Amino acid sequence: MGTISFDHVGKTYGGKNGVLALDGIDLKIGEGEFVALLGPSGCGKSTLLNLLAGFEDVSEGIMLFDGAPVTRPGPERGVVFQEAALLPWLSVWENVVFGPRVQGKPKSEYEERARDILRIVGLENFRDALPVQLSGGMRQRVGIARVLVMSPRVLLMDEPFGALDAQTRLSMQQLLLDVWETLKTTVLFVTHDIDEAILLADRICVMSARPGRIAKHIDIDLRRPRSIDDLTGSEFTRFKAAIMSEMRASLAHAH
Amino acid sequence: MTATDRVTVKTSAPAERPSLFAGLGERLSGANPARKVLGLILPIALVAIWQLAGTNGSLFGGALPTPDRVWSAWVLWAFGTPTLGLNPYIGTWYDNVVFSTIRVAKGFALAIALGVPIGIMIGWSRLMAAFVDPTIQWLRPVPITAWLPISIAIFGIRDFGSVFLITLGAFYPIVINATQGARDVERNWIRAAQMMGASKTDILLRVVFPAALPSIFTGLRVGLGIGWTAVIVSEMVAVKSGLGYVLWDAYYVGRMDIVIADMVSIGLLGFISDRLIVFVESWLLGWRRMQSFNN
Repeated sequence: MGTISFDHVGKTYGGKNGVLALDGIDLKIGEGEFVALLGPSGCGKSTLLNLLAGFEDVSEGIMLFDGAPVTRPGPERGVVFQEAALLPWLSVWENVVFGPRVQGKPKSEYEERARDILRIVGLENFRDALPVQLSGGMRQRVGIARVLVMSPRVLLMDEPFGALDAQTRLSMQQLLLDVWETLKTTVLFVTHDIDEAILLADRICVMSARPGRIAKHIDIDLRRPRSIDDLTGSEFTRFKAAIMSEMRASLAHAH
Repeated sequence: MTATDRVTVKTSAPAERPSLFAGLGERLSGANPARKVLGLILPIALVAIWQLAGTNGSLFGGALPTPDRVWSAWVLWAFGTPTLGLNPYIGTWYDNVVFSTIRVAKGFALAIALGVPIGIMIGWSRLMAAFVDPTIQWLRPVPITAWLPISIAIFGIRDFGSVFLITLGAFYPIVINATQGARDVERNWIRAAQMMGASKTDILLRVVFPAALPSIFTGLRVGLGIGWTAVIVSEMVAVKSGLGYVLWDAYYVGRMDIVIADMVSIGLLGFISDRLIVFVESWLLGWRRMQSFNN
């Protein structure tokens, strides 16, 4: 459950003579794998994630999720947006249980789980707060909580910590590592931050721009469980040096 | 794992410090009493000049009675005991206020019932926009006053002719603002709802409608203002009761004191009804007010 397969997937905007955003994407992601899409802005990494989320249609090639083509968004593919995209008129609690509610699930099925998840993300005392009363990091915790409450088979995260300050970003990365260590859900994580990609992912797909292609797959064999302390470890630094030289090579090649 | 499984995660992630309510209190108490007094100076001065400029209780050769005359006329109109005599301006104020208010309430309610759903559908669905929007845009430039003859021809000198004009006048700003509100909904709110399994109906009712509410309220306030205009115009011509009817009738018999008392009454009703909408708005849209404070 939670397997992803892209087979020569392309995405063109604006008809036949439009802009080629993604070209010949081949990508297989196994169950429970944490994959980071790393690349400069405009390289199509968010587009790739939007295809899988079902927000946009594939122009060519075949994209499968758990063996079936994706036709529309759905709760088995939980999306965490960059700016959280919470509904501002709903309280933290109402945002978190929005999914189960619109799916018509009985309260007994989701309330306990929602409470647990709010506690895990550290917001149990902010149930009744409105998103506007929260800091950026807290809003993103709600954005993660409302997705986890639906037990998705894959987490699609679109630069979820990109808009946060450095300190908050670290604490959110730690939170994500801890949550993933427990749930072992498949994760596709879009970022332009090399450190973040190494810290979180089992595998990094380095993308090049115009048209968006996957230039390089890099396995990160850093031992798990990981923590933000690893960021300063010698093993991490070795990985980073290797990846940066590989990125330079592949990007130079791509240009 | 199923939805009922309990989840426990040990995390060493440090908690953040929340910025809850920071500075909100001071900002809310921003209503400065000194500034409110400032706003009273001009109207008091104007009324005083109006009073002092009059000779024998009027200006412009009797066309404009002074405030004291208007006041005593209003007191009699509002609180006098109706007599069997021919003076219709004793003790009939309240009834006429009620007539006009009920017409506005009916017409306005009808305009909301039509304008909000139609506007949201136009803003939400390109098909609806292509189907309905051109008709609305072609009809809109026709002023509601131009609809008077046909309204009387169809509905006669009856209540509904007046209600029809109010509905028509209030409908345009409501439908246009609801359309705009539904069009401007943030894309990621809709995507997030879709991702969480919301149906089209859920998205309309739980995302598009609340997101469009601030814009809808703008339309309601403009629409209500037009509603009061429409009730006065229509009562002058199309019915035989209400503040608009009294306004024209009093002018015909030369009772300018009643004309002015009537004008002030209309202004007050318009003001109070607008405050009511603002009150409902601030009650429903607390999230929005806090948002504008924080940004």
